Amino acid sequence: MEIISRLTENYFYLVAVILFVIGMHTMLTHSNMIKKVIAMNIMDSSVFLLFVAIGYRHGAQAPIIREGVDIVYANPLPGALIVTGIVVAVSVTAYALSIIVKIQRSYETVDCDEICELRSED
Amino acid sequence: MESAGHQPVLIIVLLLISAFIAPLLYRRWRFLSGAVVLAALTGSFITALLLLSKSGASSSLSYHLGNWPPPWGIELIIDPLRVYMLLVVTGVSLWIFIYALGDLKHELHNDVIGWYYSLYAVLVASMSAITLTNDLFNLFVLMEICAITACAIITIKDQRECLEAGFKYLIMSAMGTGCFLLGVAMIYMVTGYLNYSFIQSELSLALTDYPLNIFTAAALFIVAFGTKAALFPLHVWLPDAHAAAPSPSSAMLSGLVIKIYAFALFMIFYRVFPRSLLDTIPLNEIILWLGAMGVMFGSIYAMLQTDLKKMLAYSSISQIAFIFMGIGLDQPLALTGGLYHIMVHAFTKSTLFMSAGAIIYSTGVRRISDLGGIGKVLPLPLFAFTIGSASMIGLPGTGGLISKWYLALGTLETGRILFLLVILASSLLNAIYYMPIVINAFMSGEEFKEKVKIVPLSMQVTLAAGMILVVISGIFSRQVIIFFEQALTSLY
Repeated sequence: MEIISRLTENYFYLVAVILFVIGMHTMLTHSNMIKKVIAMNIMDSSVFLLFVAIGYRHGAQAPIIREGVDIVYANPLPGALIVTGIVVAVSVTAYALSIIVKIQRSYETVDCDEICELRSED
Repeated sequence: MESAGHQPVLIIVLLLISAFIAPLLYRRWRFLSGAVVLAALTGSFITALLLLSKSGASSSLSYHLGNWPPPWGIELIIDPLRVYMLLVVTGVSLWIFIYALGDLKHELHNDVIGWYYSLYAVLVASMSAITLTNDLFNLFVLMEICAITACAIITIKDQRECLEAGFKYLIMSAMGTGCFLLGVAMIYMVTGYLNYSFIQSELSLALTDYPLNIFTAAALFIVAFGTKAALFPLHVWLPDAHAAAPSPSSAMLSGLVIKIYAFALFMIFYRVFPRSLLDTIPLNEIILWLGAMGVMFGSIYAMLQTDLKKMLAYSSISQIAFIFMGIGLDQPLALTGGLYHIMVHAFTKSTLFMSAGAIIYSTGVRRISDLGGIGKVLPLPLFAFTIGSASMIGLPGTGGLISKWYLALGTLETGRILFLLVILASSLLNAIYYMPIVINAFMSGEEFKEKVKIVPLSMQVTLAAGMILVVISGIFSRQVIIFFEQALTSLY
């Protein structure tokens, strides 16, 4: 019972992990390259969600500190890190998609299995 | 710790600036473009040498980026092991770049060579930064830069095999970095730090309160670095990627890029995880078994290949596994062997890929069975190939002997005879697939029929340098081994 209460308390971590597994599974098992890239983004986003959720504190405000006012504020560092992470994920996605465009031009398909068949014919 | 001046960051900045200028210069003054990157690589190598003389074999220096002290800012650390890796990275990449200057005109379209120089400089910059950084999130960003540029120097060759291999590599490394970032999140959750040194002191306390988080993080790190460094069951992307790439890229990827991740895993094990964690769960044992399987299977797969570069790529899987075995045995002598193997394999495999590249450049032959009698028409590349093969097998007088010797001593010291047998068996297997090529090339009666182009001077010089480096690392190893002995005492 303890584990269930812990999970309901920290349901945002659970959601992030489920998303991560969905992303990873799709990325490794689907043969469509566009789907692979989308799955890669789902996986990255799930990690970002988890990272940002670490900074959450119940009833906390945005971390704007003024003299003399004592507030409970959320940890700003994970958010700052994840902005960098998002930029990195965007550039990887752009690069992956540009490779897919070139692959589509030379193989006329974006399906990994079909490409394998084409290559075995060579 | 005393301050290091601005030299650590200078290495990275020099390379990044040259990466920015090179493609611009290439539009008008093609000659200058290569010279700028060459100068930046030379500059970073010299700076690394200066850092070595500053830090010596036992002290360490720390550099705070933007003058923000840790744990808030990013910290670069210069300690003996990192300086060693930095020297290997900058030195070997300078050497491969001279080869690339000769080979690229043949491998790539003329318009993209400027971009290749740029990617090359960014790749070296990211690898140098990975060796120096002392911050987990910084490591994540650098790993992504390294992954993108490493893929880009494969896909820049506009052939469909390269594109497909590059895509596979990109997806696998994206999975690796995803796992890594999840692991970092787990660690950050329980410690609140991203700096290696702060995490290490905090983790030994957190281990009793939140063991599950830390175990998950450790597992994720092994998957992440295993994927990126092609540790045995996660190696599937490597053969295609390394075989399809242009020859200088193959030399770079097999010689340095996979090792940088092995080194990063080593750093995580000994600089981030406290000793108590390594004693609680058998992390080293897992790495050791995976490494031993990689050594065997890599060699067995390599024997089955008909394509020369593909054979070399599979051989890389077995050789990188030696480095992991060094980490897995968790013992100073074995670690010495593993770390020395980083340098030896960088020299050896780069020489082998370069001579394969020279063979493809001048004859266009890639199949192993078509190489009969080629030694008479291309003596220098095949002689370099012979020296490289000798080092792969571990014959006396080459660097391969020294690293395998110390690994074997490590297995004896810990009493794991099984792994000694693995090392010996792999040497035999290496002999089985390298020696027939050499014998066939020099001693077969048949004449080599294909047309032969003359190998450019820059490629000949680097091949000769490669032979010399492999032999030097085999004969004058004493200094480096003593250096390791002093450096590794800080870990135990």
